[in-house]
Amino acid sequence: MKMTKRISSAIIVLCSLCLLGLPQAMAANAAFDVNKMADMSDFDPNHPVIPTGDTIKIALVASFSGPAAVVGQIYWISVQWAAHDINKRGGILVDGKRKLVQVIKADHQSRVDVCKKVCERMVLQEKVHVLWGTDGSHLMKVINQVANKYKVIALCAASLSDDLYDAQNFSRYSFMTSFSTEQIGRAFAYYYGQMRKKEKKFYILCQDYLFGHQMAEGFKKGLKEYYPDAKIVGEDYHRLFLTDFAPYLTKIKASGAEVIYTGDWIPDAANLLKQARQMGIKLPFANTFMDEPNFLHAVGVKGTNGLVHVSQYGVEGGAFKTPEQIKYYKAWNDLWKAGKWGAPYNSRLYEHGTGNIGAYRAQTYWLLSVIERAGSTKAKKIIKVFEGDTYQYVIGKVMEMRACDHKAVQDLHIELYVPPAEQRQSFNIPPYYWYKGYSVTGPSFKIPRDKVLPKADPKLCK
Amino acid sequence: MTRRVKGIVGGVILVILALYPWLFGIYFTNVIVTCAIFALFAVSYNLLLGYTGLFSFGHAMFFGAGGYATALALTHIEGCPLLVALLFGFLGAVALALLLSPIVARLAHSAFAMLHLAFSMLLYTLALKLRGITGGEDGIGGFPIPPFRIPGVVSVDMTDPLNFYYFAMAVLCGSLWVAWFLTKTPFGQIIVSVRDNDKRVDYMGFKVPQTKAIIYTLSCGFAGIAGSIYAMFQNLISAAALGIAQSFAPIVMTMVGGVISFFGPIWGAVIFAVIEELTTRYTERVQLVEGLILIIVILFFPGGFIHIVAIVKGKLLGFTRGKGAGLIKGKWFGK
Repeated sequence: MKMTKRISSAIIVLCSLCLLGLPQAMAANAAFDVNKMADMSDFDPNHPVIPTGDTIKIALVASFSGPAAVVGQIYWISVQWAAHDINKRGGILVDGKRKLVQVIKADHQSRVDVCKKVCERMVLQEKVHVLWGTDGSHLMKVINQVANKYKVIALCAASLSDDLYDAQNFSRYSFMTSFSTEQIGRAFAYYYGQMRKKEKKFYILCQDYLFGHQMAEGFKKGLKEYYPDAKIVGEDYHRLFLTDFAPYLTKIKASGAEVIYTGDWIPDAANLLKQARQMGIKLPFANTFMDEPNFLHAVGVKGTNGLVHVSQYGVEGGAFKTPEQIKYYKAWNDLWKAGKWGAPYNSRLYEHGTGNIGAYRAQTYWLLSVIERAGSTKAKKIIKVFEGDTYQYVIGKVMEMRACDHKAVQDLHIELYVPPAEQRQSFNIPPYYWYKGYSVTGPSFKIPRDKVLPKADPKLCK
Repeated sequence: MTRRVKGIVGGVILVILALYPWLFGIYFTNVIVTCAIFALFAVSYNLLLGYTGLFSFGHAMFFGAGGYATALALTHIEGCPLLVALLFGFLGAVALALLLSPIVARLAHSAFAMLHLAFSMLLYTLALKLRGITGGEDGIGGFPIPPFRIPGVVSVDMTDPLNFYYFAMAVLCGSLWVAWFLTKTPFGQIIVSVRDNDKRVDYMGFKVPQTKAIIYTLSCGFAGIAGSIYAMFQNLISAAALGIAQSFAPIVMTMVGGVISFFGPIWGAVIFAVIEELTTRYTERVQLVEGLILIIVILFFPGGFIHIVAIVKGKLLGFTRGKGAGLIKGKWFGK
């Protein structure tokens, strides 16, 4: 009897241990380990240490000139950070040799013809292993075409259009680690229809290219699914890098909309919000990229209060839950505060290294982890590891690369922008606010991954 | 230069072009294809500016029309042969020119330039707005590139950059030769006369507007061919091909290369390709460098690169008479 009791207890303990251990084991194939991070105190994005010779080469294909140059700068510091960290750890063991990571700038000037040319130069002349892109789905399409033609890996870290990975455009060499348009649209619809249940009239204003149209489609599809009572009271598309939004804003004002849904990214997002507030339009923007601190600061606490933002790098509740997360945050923030970085990296845009910068850094770490586990820079071996891979970011979020269409499956977060005094809900360490000069993340709501699965083309995913 | 020397130079150029991909690899092969496309585009522009004295701010609309016509043909016509797609490009630009020529052939100077700017902006906006047809800002891309096929004889895969290089160079060099030949015909002399004194040409019994309309249509046709090859080469055509920057490209190339000669714009295209290749490796401010060069050329060498070459040649060979001397003085050809 005693024996049976002991055995039963042992079984219970073992089962409990298994149950406790199981989620950890299932969590991810790999995870970012802050404790292994190098000493980053010498990181300087203005004067990065770029190795040459036999390296793992990543071409950072982005706008480094023209109106969207700031976007290229954001990518540059993010990717360079991950590269610097890995290089200080001694590089990655690939093809039987430890190799450092070399990041090369490739300016596509926001033009498709230049994009093709510069990508070909990167592949044929610089012999890069990865094309990392980019601001503009139409440009990512070109990157994917070049990657497919010359059989190198493309990482879609910043273009969000679902169509890039449909049966027609799919390339087995390209992987989408960012969130996608339909996920965003459905996340907002889920939030407004299933969680908030208040506003019903929406106005869609997006950029007039693949991404903008896909953003609108995703939202409309999401509303049908999660909020059938909602009404689209207007829909407009403007050209890229517009400077005068007055005609659109006048229409929005007259439409009786309660929320403006936009996919605009900077500089359009900045000009749109500024002009809306100048015209006395106080409606909330449900947005993806209206999060650039410099222009939000110019708009002020009042003008930014109530903005609704979807994040691919969000967390529910406090942003800092573990000492590791604080260490990772401080490694960046201390450098910024020390004033070691020159312009443009000394602006408040780069103060925290979270948000999209955090996401780009994490996606680059994921890529480098895949290369490390593949043990090779050969595209075929990288593909084998990347397909179906799971990776845990430092914030605890687990990413999964869907094997059938190379899209990342992930939870998303809806963040409400609130004045500094209320930001402690999110910024839960001293000084308990993100920014004093404007409203930013306070409450955050998790949209589970099964509610926002990325759009899957039935020809690719059965 | 004697006929024999010209023949030898031509032969050497042909041999270099034939061996180029093996000497310089795929990347620089692609660079030279782009350069040749813009050379034809700039030469087509110079048929208007240099030869006929018509200054246009909207030549990209013909380049873009050619590109879109080819892209649409390859997208929507199943099994559309390569040469038919090219023909569509040529005819697309010619059709647009024929549509506009009744209006523009009677104009000159700033009216001609500004009207073209207006039409090109109209087309650019239409390309952005008619998303269902043109693909909007994304453009039309990923269309099939058919093989070059002579039924029963040969079928060459044009997705291979090497094969496409030979096809593109054959078409572009052929078009350049036709354009050059045109300038050597009596009609070529008439258009130069129209540029110099259209009233006198009118008194002599030639029909000035019709002459202008013909050269205008032909020039636009050549721009259409350049646009068509460009679309096939990039496997993509977008509204940017119709934009103002694209319209300024042949103007700048012609000015820098030399408006005073048929070969000036070709040199201009080469110079800009080289500058772009060199500068993009060191700076993102390529346009700044190009702009500086344009300013220097306009201020100090208004005859362009070809003028500088003529001066150097004149000093070395001692030209005092003939065409060489005209070039040294910066005079336009035909004067």
